[in-house]
Order: sequence, then C-alpha cells, then structure tokens
Amino acid sequence: MKCAWQQLIAILPQWMRQDVDRQGRETLQELRLRRNSPPRLILKGGVRDLNRSILENDIVFILNAASAYSPWAAATMSQGYLTAAGGHRIGICGTAVVKLGQISGFQRPESLCIRVARDFPGVAAPLANVTGSILILGPPGSGKTTILRDLVRQISAVQKKQISVVDERSEIFPSYVQGFCFDTGSNVDILTGCGKAQGIEVLLRNMSPSVIATDEITAEEDCKALLHAGWCGVDLIATAHGGSLQDLYCRPVYKLLTENDLFDTIVVMRSDKTWKVERVNQ
Amino acid sequence: MILKWIGAVLVICCCGGFGFRMAAGFRIEESALQALERVLMFMHNELQYRLTPLPVLCKMAAGQCDGALRKAFYSFSEELETQIAPDASLCMTAALSRYPHLPPATKELMRQFGSTAGQFDLQGQLSEIEHLQNLCKHNLRQMSVNRDTRLRNYQTLGLCAGAALIILFI
Repeated sequence: MKCAWQQLIAILPQWMRQDVDRQGRETLQELRLRRNSPPRLILKGGVRDLNRSILENDIVFILNAASAYSPWAAATMSQGYLTAAGGHRIGICGTAVVKLGQISGFQRPESLCIRVARDFPGVAAPLANVTGSILILGPPGSGKTTILRDLVRQISAVQKKQISVVDERSEIFPSYVQGFCFDTGSNVDILTGCGKAQGIEVLLRNMSPSVIATDEITAEEDCKALLHAGWCGVDLIATAHGGSLQDLYCRPVYKLLTENDLFDTIVVMRSDKTWKVERVNQ
Repeated sequence: MILKWIGAVLVICCCGGFGFRMAAGFRIEESALQALERVLMFMHNELQYRLTPLPVLCKMAAGQCDGALRKAFYSFSEELETQIAPDASLCMTAALSRYPHLPPATKELMRQFGSTAGQFDLQGQLSEIEHLQNLCKHNLRQMSVNRDTRLRNYQTLGLCAGAALIILFI
C-alpha cells in the first residue's frame, strides 16, 4: 500500500499533525473537519475524535495549504472540492458565493471532508487479461479509483497496450513538482486538469491510444465523448456511481452508454471494497 | 594644529559620505523599483498564461531579479512552501523580516503584494498586480522629477555641511 502521507500531513494545522500521523498513518480513510467541533478520523476499524475543536483559521489554513495559497490554480473550488498534492480530495461545505447562477467560490467554508488517496499495487491483477471496454461501477468510497489506477498499470504491463488517461481531478495519478506520487506504468500518458469530454477528444487526436481511461462519468457530454472514442476503435476504462447493474440501467445519464453496449465488462464494486465481474457483451 | 586638520578632514569625509550614501540609496531604491516593476509584469503574464501556483511563481520571480529583491522573493516562496503560516501575508512578513536592507518604498510594495497574494481568484489577483505596477510607476515618476539635481544636491550638501561644521568648530 502506498500513500502520499507527508503531503496530507503538510496541509493540516500544526497542532493536528502529530495526532493524525500517530492514529491514522495506516488506516485513515477520511478526515472530517467541522467548525467548532473536534476533527473526526474515519479509520478502517472505527471512528476517533481528537480533543480540540476546529476553528475558522484552521479551515482557512487547510484550504490555503492545499491550494498552495493559489485559489486560481485550484479552480475546482467552485465545484465544491479541491485536490491536494498527493491526490487527497478535499470536499468543501459552507456559504457558497453564486455568480451568474453558478457557484464561484465559498465565502465562509464551514466543514471539510478530506479523503485519503491510497494506492494498492496489484489489487486489479485478476483483471489484467480482460480485453475490451471495462466499466467500474460502485457506490462512493468503494474503491473505484483505486481499482482503476491499478487496472491501468496492469493492462499496460500485461497487454502492452498504449493507455491514455484523462485525470480531470488529478486523483488517479496525482502529480507534484518532482513527478507522480504513484507508479504510472510503462505505457501510460496522463492528461490532467481538463474536462473529460475535451480530454478524450485531445487524446484521440494526438496520442493515438489503444485504451482511454477516465474516472467518474457524471455528465451526458462525458458519455457522448466516450461513445465517440468507442466508435473510433479505442477500448475504454471508466468508473461510474451506482450500487448495482440495475442502477446503471436506470440512470438516464448512462442511457447512451447502455443502449449502445459500449462496455464489454462491468466490474461491480461493493461497499466492503470487494468486487464481482459481469460480462455484458460475450 | 595637525589634530585640528585631521578632525576637519574627518568631519568633511563623514558629512560628504553621508551625502553620497543618500544619493546611492536613492539610486538603489530606483533600481529596486524598476526591477520590481519588471517582476510584476512577468508575474502578471505568467499567471495569465499558466495559472502558476504562488510558491512556484515567486521562485520564478526571484530568478528574474537580483540583489535583495531576489532574496526577498525566494524567501517568500520558501515560507509558502513550508506551509506554517495560515495566509500569504504572514509568509511575506516573515520573509521581509529576514531581509531588512530592502529599500523602504520597495519593501512597502512587497508588503502590499503579500497582503493581497492568494486572496482572490485569477481576475482579482491580476488586478492587484496591475495596481502594484501602477504604484511602482508612480513612485518612479516621482523619483525621476529633478533626479540629477537632487542627486547632486545630496552630494554637495553633504560636503557643504561638513565644511560649515569645520568653520564653526575652528
């Protein structure tokens, strides 16, 4: 298991660093911080609260540190999250500022949810020989991104395919100044920071990939871009929210994908981070 | 008598030196402001084109100038990278306290830059940088009025003050 732990510790206020490091280094999954409440550590085997309350300054510190004091570089704050160095995602709640009908930022952030990014090399080894397009389906926190990350590495190593990744939120292969935090595999090109639909188009045109991988299909335009790529003869690996196959077929946003049988294999994740493989197209 | 003459020479040297030092300080301030204006222009363009994060931007800015300004930007960038202070303004205060020899007007502008850095979105940050550029230009314009006369005055006044003191004492 790998984790950019020091990058996570570095964005926390100093008084919290030692406690979080001691109690959560191996097992921390989420850190929930709410103003005037003690920080809550969601660990693999339970929940623990620290014995000091979070103040507004602490929240401001975390947001400043996670964005390297550069709100312009963390443009996703308007979508309610930002990705810290190491791929740790920070969800933000509070009083939103709305301009022209869209959230442009947060006037007073009240609570944060920091999800710890961990890498488990080899976890997707059983899927290394699966060919065709693969959809990883699962509820939030079931390990979709972890499986996707390793699946990209496994397929690039075993099938020797040229894989391009659209990593919109810099979560699949988070990067920092010196390079990527996690091993990317040998045949993998990563496009970070741009939207999925636009990114898929760019990769198709410029990188001649055999496989395109992307995380969290949430919009119809993402589905259209995936469909377009699929029709161009490229295999796809993607993740989507859903508890079961039935959820996939029910959600209107995925209609385009299911009607066109875009995916050959669907990996259904469970909340306990196990999975089962469903072959859709034989 | 010899002691009187040695004293007179020393008084002239001290007063003249003070005048020359004032003139040199004026030139240092002027060149620091010119450098700061160039750096701000660089930062403005870099931000607009690449949305560079503040610590990296300041490190790049340090590479665009030299002397005390370079050290101040580099130190600011280091302060931001260590992530100890809750906001950029405190990082700048810490960085400036390490380099007290920065000329006063440049130091004030740097402090203003620190107090607005990392507070706004891209447009806000660009506007703040433009505002500082204008302040730089304004200061430089003021300094350029009668520049040569002023420099000559500093130097000659120093020497004259020294001479006047000698006449008084002797």
